Amino acid sequence: MLSMNNISRIYQSDTIKTHALRDFSLDVKQGEFVAVTGPSGSGKSTFLNIAGLLDPFDQGEYQLDGVNIQGLNDNQLSRLRNEKIGFIFQSYNLIPDYTIFDNVDMPLRYRGFSSKERKYRIEQALEKVGLAARANYLPSQLSGGQQQRVAIARALAGEPKILLADEPTGNLDSLMARQVMEILHQLNQEGATIIMVTHDPDQARAVNRNIQIIDGEISDFGVYAPQQNIATAASVEVDNATV
Amino acid sequence: MNIKALIKSLLLRKFTTGLLLLQLALTLALLVNSGILTLDTHAKLTQQTGIDKENTILIDFVPTSPDYADRDFYLSVINRDIATIKEIPGVIDVAPSNQRPMQFGGFNSNMHDVNNPEQEQLNNGLRYVAEFYSNGSLTNVFNLKLVEGRQLTELDNVANSNEAPIVVTHSLAKALYGEESALGKVTNRGHIVGVVEDFKIRANQPLDNQYGFFKSQIFTGANWMNHYFIRVEPGMLESVQAQLKDTLISLQADRDIREVASLNKYLEIFFGDDIGLAKLFALLCALMVLVTAISSFAHAQFHITKQRRLIGIRRALGARKRDILIYVLGENWILTVFGLIVGVFAVVAVNMLLSSVITLNKPSLWLYLLATAVIFISGTLATLLPAWQTSRIPPVIATRSI
Amino acid sequence: MLRYNFRLAFENFRRTPQLYALVAFTLALGIGLLSANLALVHTMTSDPIPHKSDKLFHVSMNTWPNEDPHEQPFYILSYRDADHILNADMVKNTAVIYASGGYIRDLQSTEASRINVQIRAASDGFFNLTDAPFAYGQAYQGNSGYEVVIGDSANKRVFGGGNSVGKTLELNGANYTVVGVLKPWYLRPLFYHATEQAAFNNTDDLFVPLETAIDENLPIYARSSSTDSWQQISDTRTKNVYYLQAWVEVENQQQKKEFQNYLDAYSQNLKDNGEHPNKIINQLDDVNAWLAHLNIVDSKVYAFALVSFLFLTVCVFNASSLLLSRQHSALFEHGLRRAIGASRMHLLQQGLVESCVLGVISAIMGLLLAWCFLQLSVTFLPQLQNLAVLDYEILILSFILAIVVTNLSCLYSLIRTNKQSISAELK
Repeated sequence: MLSMNNISRIYQSDTIKTHALRDFSLDVKQGEFVAVTGPSGSGKSTFLNIAGLLDPFDQGEYQLDGVNIQGLNDNQLSRLRNEKIGFIFQSYNLIPDYTIFDNVDMPLRYRGFSSKERKYRIEQALEKVGLAARANYLPSQLSGGQQQRVAIARALAGEPKILLADEPTGNLDSLMARQVMEILHQLNQEGATIIMVTHDPDQARAVNRNIQIIDGEISDFGVYAPQQNIATAASVEVDNATV
Repeated sequence: MNIKALIKSLLLRKFTTGLLLLQLALTLALLVNSGILTLDTHAKLTQQTGIDKENTILIDFVPTSPDYADRDFYLSVINRDIATIKEIPGVIDVAPSNQRPMQFGGFNSNMHDVNNPEQEQLNNGLRYVAEFYSNGSLTNVFNLKLVEGRQLTELDNVANSNEAPIVVTHSLAKALYGEESALGKVTNRGHIVGVVEDFKIRANQPLDNQYGFFKSQIFTGANWMNHYFIRVEPGMLESVQAQLKDTLISLQADRDIREVASLNKYLEIFFGDDIGLAKLFALLCALMVLVTAISSFAHAQFHITKQRRLIGIRRALGARKRDILIYVLGENWILTVFGLIVGVFAVVAVNMLLSSVITLNKPSLWLYLLATAVIFISGTLATLLPAWQTSRIPPVIATRSI
Repeated sequence: MLRYNFRLAFENFRRTPQLYALVAFTLALGIGLLSANLALVHTMTSDPIPHKSDKLFHVSMNTWPNEDPHEQPFYILSYRDADHILNADMVKNTAVIYASGGYIRDLQSTEASRINVQIRAASDGFFNLTDAPFAYGQAYQGNSGYEVVIGDSANKRVFGGGNSVGKTLELNGANYTVVGVLKPWYLRPLFYHATEQAAFNNTDDLFVPLETAIDENLPIYARSSSTDSWQQISDTRTKNVYYLQAWVEVENQQQKKEFQNYLDAYSQNLKDNGEHPNKIINQLDDVNAWLAHLNIVDSKVYAFALVSFLFLTVCVFNASSLLLSRQHSALFEHGLRRAIGASRMHLLQQGLVESCVLGVISAIMGLLLAWCFLQLSVTFLPQLQNLAVLDYEILILSFILAIVVTNLSCLYSLIRTNKQSISAELK
């Protein structure tokens, strides 16, 4: 589904060269729920931006759903983002002037669906996150958790191959966070591939694969057993810290 | 482009949107009304005068020497002038005149049939009938066709005013005698021997309501302005005009030649005020368009700075650069469309306002469309640069936390 | 605090110079255009002789010889009626005038060329009545005689300037001695001859005693109206020719009343003798009433002033929306300032200082533009030449206008800032 091979990303200021990612390789299979953790400045965001085709990379090879990203122009990248990727941002990133309906509608517009098709998809997506009744609300009229669920609906509406979530619960209290996570887990069980950057070790442990990025390099913890429960999580956290 | 969402979001910013709409509407109103003014002025300049404007030259002169107080001297100067001008190649005919056509004041007198002096009370126009004193050939120089009777000749110079033969304009004949023939009738200003087509004597009256009469008597008021009119063959105007001043001065130097101009040029001078006002309005239009452009530009520019992140999100969700370009331009277009709709009322309101002060025609559809196009194009051009800059906002902005 | 606010204002200008430049420029355009037009309207409506405009009266009479007068009362008078006014001894000054023109030359000069001058045939009371400013010499005495007063510009053109008293000039073959030279004399409007679209002409070049002008057949360059036909101007002394305008200066209401009675008695007497059949109407209008009656303000200037007002409105709308977008981007900063203890009043003051500074900048630019627009107006409408004056009243007015208009433009964003809650932006 997603395959990165020796990807490097270098930020260059006047005098200093910073390796944000160094020979970064990762394979994500269809249906996986991957949690990416790591300290601030480790390269998590760079990874997500590159994975989401928001940012270019300097070296290496990146295939998304069988398409080699190398050499694609801006229009082609936009098209790929629109069709294959669903974004969920930490700060929701809804258009404040648009209603919930219009916000979810936005990526579908760029896809060029008919209005009937769009309406159907928007309603389906909002149904999934339990906000179908709020279609005509403005984002400011919703709670943070509801806003994030709208963002998820927006990401889902286009039936992307992969969902990229950037600390989706970072701005939410624990109750709301749990609701959002439940939706993501449910989507995963229905077959969605999800990559999620998170700070929360509980969330990281609750998914089936956990990778950590430190100084632009990757440590892959491989696949957790699905039956692993929260009670054993504490020791794993210690492991993470000692790596 | 999601037009409905765009409109809804504009409605959320009611104040700003309202300001922009009002601004667009007023700009449109001024553009249209300036257009009307320009067209009105153009119509005045190109109106039918009944005279061949292209091929007629006007000379204004004022005697500066006391010699001219002697009528015989003055007449001898005029006769020599006429004889000399007639010799210039290209000249068809020349005549002196005490006044110009196409003016507001001038030499006027009252007029009535000798048997019916009450006519004047019934028709106020008969109290201000333009009197043209010439040598008999002025109607020929103006190229006025005879409706009935005959033209005047130099032999018609009769001092006694009641018996002097006169030629009247068609509308004057009708005002005096209705459908009856005016030939042979006697007025307080002379007896009528001919009726000619109407021509534009009073600038503010329609062509078919021009009271004037001609007398074969040359005006020689010392100290007053006097005139010659010269009809030339087509294409000869400039070559004739170029030598007139020197010719006249070489014949008699003691006079101030105030003007040598084609009647076309004279109309431009006569309507100089209207042309000036039209130019001022044109200047204002340019300023208006400039301000509209500033507004469009700044709106796109600063509104977009604020929306950087939102644009980034759109890009992240798959909008191409072209989509963003259209999105920014689209907002301008939608505002313009609504401004232009509101503008219809503004156009009418400003037209009414201005009509209360100056004479102004009613707005026309195609002027409205023209002004619309101007606003659309200037707005789009002004938005293009910021729109292009906006489309270059990288999608990665979306994931940066504030 | 004020100094701090000033610093903040300039800091803001520095931060988004483009935006503030556009705002100031837009407002300056609007203010400039309106000021230019206000200057024109101001000159057109100003009182040309304020210290005694309420004591000078224009005389209109109603003595048309038949039952069919052009206007009742008529603003031009016959010689007979004007002469009667000249004989009124209960008033301080009287002036009977008509406009004329001609070509004059310095008799001593060898040059043959003559100079075209605007002439005023005037009775001797004219100079005291109008307070004509003499540079050299004085007015002529009496209404006959070959003595003249010359205006400043004609004096320069004919005699090369300086004290020309005693010099001789020739007009239509007659010689005249200069007894007085005027200083540059501006009357806006030219109240003594505000009819026939002459209200904004220059003061005259040459002043000739009334009777002499009539004897010398100096032409009438204004409206004349008659029931008799006439050839020479001197014919008008005995015929029904209406062409003279008359002004009187009174010292008080009593004099005015006496003069009114004097005229009414005269008109009644004429009527009794069968000289005219009309109602007795003798109208005395003081300077401002007379100018208002004539409605001398050019309708084109009015029209353009109206439109410039609309234009300024558009500029204010434009500036408002620009400033509003500036306000939006400053929300965070304002929230922060409130959070660290600035009161709403502080922020309001800060905003007001900023808009006042902006207003001063717009005012200066606006006045420069106003000057440019005036020059353009004069180029397009040359008859406005004498009106295009930016006097101090207009300068002050424009300045105040600029400050008000700028604050108006800032008003909405100030209100918005003021209403904003602290928490909204800092969350």
